[in-house]
Amino acid sequence: MAAQPKPLPVEGPHYLEGGGILGWLTTVDHKRVAVLYGVTALLLMLVGGTEAMLIRTQLMRPDNHVLTAAWYNQIFTMHGTTMIFLVIMPLETGFFANFLIPLQIGARDVAFPRINALSYWLFLAGAVFMHLGLVTHVLNLGTVPSGLPNAGWFGYANLTESQYSPGLNIDFWDIGLLILGVSSVLAALNFFVTIVNMRAPGMTFMRMPMFMWAILVTTILILLAFPALTVGLIFLFLDRFFGTHFYRVTAGATPILWQHLFWIFGHPEVYIMALPAFGMISEILPVFSRKPLFGYPMMAYSLVLIAFLSYGVWGHHMFATGMGPIADATFAITSMLIAIPTGIKVFSWIATVWGGRLRFTTAMLFALAFIIEFTIGGLSGIMHASAPIDLQQTDSYFVVAHFHYVLGGGVLFAILGAFYYWCPKISGRMLDETLGKWQFWLLVIGFNLTFFPMHWLGTWGMPRRIYTYAPGMGWSTLNFVETIGAYIQAVSFIVFFANILLTLRRGEKAAADPWDGRTLEWSVASPPPAYNFAVLPEGGSRDDFWVQKYGTLAGAHGGGSSAAGATAAAHAAAEAAEHIHMPAPSLYPLLFALGVFLMGVGALAWLRIVILGGMVVALSIIAMAFEYPAHGEEAAESEPVFYRGVDNRKAGMWAFLGSECVFFTALISTYMVYKSRNLAGPDAQILNIPLTSFSTFILLMSSLLMVLALAAFRRGDDKWGRIWLLGTAGFGCIFLGGQVYEFTDFYLQGLYMQTNIFGQTFYTLVGTHGFHVFIGVCWLVTLAIAGFLGKIDSKRSLAVEIAGLYWHFVDVVWIVIFTLVYLMRTVKHA
Amino acid sequence: MSANIAQSAALEHEHPGVSIYVTVAVFLILLTGMELTVFYVQFLQPVLVPLLIILAIAKFSLVAMFYMHLHYDSKVFTTFFIFPLMLAVTLAISLLLLFEYLLHHLSFAL
Repeated sequence: MAAQPKPLPVEGPHYLEGGGILGWLTTVDHKRVAVLYGVTALLLMLVGGTEAMLIRTQLMRPDNHVLTAAWYNQIFTMHGTTMIFLVIMPLETGFFANFLIPLQIGARDVAFPRINALSYWLFLAGAVFMHLGLVTHVLNLGTVPSGLPNAGWFGYANLTESQYSPGLNIDFWDIGLLILGVSSVLAALNFFVTIVNMRAPGMTFMRMPMFMWAILVTTILILLAFPALTVGLIFLFLDRFFGTHFYRVTAGATPILWQHLFWIFGHPEVYIMALPAFGMISEILPVFSRKPLFGYPMMAYSLVLIAFLSYGVWGHHMFATGMGPIADATFAITSMLIAIPTGIKVFSWIATVWGGRLRFTTAMLFALAFIIEFTIGGLSGIMHASAPIDLQQTDSYFVVAHFHYVLGGGVLFAILGAFYYWCPKISGRMLDETLGKWQFWLLVIGFNLTFFPMHWLGTWGMPRRIYTYAPGMGWSTLNFVETIGAYIQAVSFIVFFANILLTLRRGEKAAADPWDGRTLEWSVASPPPAYNFAVLPEGGSRDDFWVQKYGTLAGAHGGGSSAAGATAAAHAAAEAAEHIHMPAPSLYPLLFALGVFLMGVGALAWLRIVILGGMVVALSIIAMAFEYPAHGEEAAESEPVFYRGVDNRKAGMWAFLGSECVFFTALISTYMVYKSRNLAGPDAQILNIPLTSFSTFILLMSSLLMVLALAAFRRGDDKWGRIWLLGTAGFGCIFLGGQVYEFTDFYLQGLYMQTNIFGQTFYTLVGTHGFHVFIGVCWLVTLAIAGFLGKIDSKRSLAVEIAGLYWHFVDVVWIVIFTLVYLMRTVKHA
Repeated sequence: MSANIAQSAALEHEHPGVSIYVTVAVFLILLTGMELTVFYVQFLQPVLVPLLIILAIAKFSLVAMFYMHLHYDSKVFTTFFIFPLMLAVTLAISLLLLFEYLLHHLSFAL
């Protein structure tokens, strides 16, 4: 085995030191970005928790009026939205995964450091945007609209239509979620490529820490689930801002479309939250049981199986909509099947603990409680998989109990355990164990007191989302008990935040390996240096650091890691560190996110602000493209850019295109469904086949020019490379010109976006494709300019190849659109 | 930096030559011509949908395999693309079934 770093004492600067405020604003270090995510999400946890307390206070007594009905709607909507999108997801992926991925796989940073920073700033922009209505309310700005989103975290149509929600509340939610979606997809893309492509040389997939497996599968879920939500939100945006009818029955559309799009995203979203928690537990239990994880291969395969099945179960959220017996039975079976891989995990966790020499630290207590609480939530989940039972339970407090046991007792307990487990590595200080145990027991008691009685209340018929209830319903006592439980939970979180603040001020300093850990992050100092590893590890075995220490997976006995030779290793590391070149900081991710935020604000009222925001975004992208040092040139000569034989940028582009497949599929499916439901006005017969055939020819030939450009650059013929690039862009412009002509012609014939559901789906689908072509043309022109400036040549032809991949994808999407939309225009319902 | 670029060149996959690119373009034009033939010729209307789908798949595959280099490049990229594509197609079919579109369409075609 190659020499590996031993646990190092803190010598020299760590990642938290230096830089000042500007350093934090421009950071691209994954650890600092993670801390930004963590601090923001913890602050938002206070917001979401306060909202929960308001809900429980309002429901403490019958006929209570702590909140008005209107405020109650806003508070429960934002509680769900905040906890899911602004607390749990960012804590799991933005904070823990971001911090730990490079450290656990033996890398210096993530694949795309600037995109990592961009993901955070977009997340912040989305979070702030969603609360803008509260800001204007608190500031009491008179005529400026105020109010939080108020249609539930699920935002069911047509409750969200402007007819029923005339204020800006839903607009804050819609645009805020769109921004958050972009942030999530970018982060997922980044982490996916990092894990696939940047693992230590000896770290095969079956040697990865289980948390890495969980994050890898989670990123796939995000990449392939969020596009469906994005499409649903775009439809909602068009309905509210442009008067289309995607969810209006009177126009022949159906609000059920929203439910399908939302839950195609929504059920994988449950696993986007649950799988990282599974991974965290799978790291904590072996360390404090002093045993390797039981059934590692099955644990990994079950993650994959859960993710795969999660795409086929969305209908169990819609049993009450009347999908019919075949659909109900199909979704019931697939939903029940998920219990199998989940059961494998629960039994494997129990078997990991079984016979171990347990240490009941706070992290371990949370991990053990997770198994129990999550299993309770999982069992009630299986009940919902049965359509007849679900019909009795849906929209009742039984469902509230179920998902709080999954996401609260399950996911949140795992996150808290992870805080106690990894805080020493992140902050360099130990969280106080006594306070931790106080927090744990208060939370366990408070949590079960709050949520277990909801099973009974739901069974007795108490519906969810009601802001009050009459005294004679028989629900008063249990609601009172639940509110007491909620207050106990609040006390436990006060203890938690006090613990964090005390730790940061005067907590015990953490050793590099305080828990006798098994994975590579424990082999570096606490907190780690900016470059993570002075010498990149080999990662040649599962639980690599444990094997280094003890020789085998099962391991020798004794506590604590060996510090022998640590000082010598530190000196060697310091010497090596002088030659490590890390990515340069950049202000452009922050400016990009600011531009997006301005575009969102402008969309609510002022077109000029949209244009200004768009210009900031465009300039930020161009500046990033030409920012020095260029990607791939920032590493030292001795460090390869390629890690596993493929380039990060190319891998990222392919993963992005995979995500785009789902995005366009949602658009095309909607067109196919709605085309036949058109009630009046022009329909698909209006489509001009000769014109579009010419456009198709032009786009296909542009792909030929694109590959000719690439071939020219590769053989060193830069002049022809630039010519073919400009030719490709020119053909793209001709295609766009044809589309403008087509749209103008339809407009003159009376087909507007608002005319009927054919018009809205056609313009949205074809227009979105056209927008992609426009982006491609801008990209190609930028590349051509770079070529004229001498920045593209045979050695850097990969930039052209990656742009080409995008261009050809736009081409293949058009091949599908040309067939399904144009050539099949006569295919209709009988 | 020079080491990176050298390694980049060493790890790059083979690309097809210009003649292959042009040949693919010719096939794409021919296939588009066949699509239009199927669309306009009356007696092919009963099998319009399957024929058009087959032709579109052929065009899609040619671009993906030769212009996007999936035929030559790392199989990792094929996996990155094909799995989401299959998932997307499954979702599309599921949605159409759920909205009873295919049921009506089949009765139309027959």
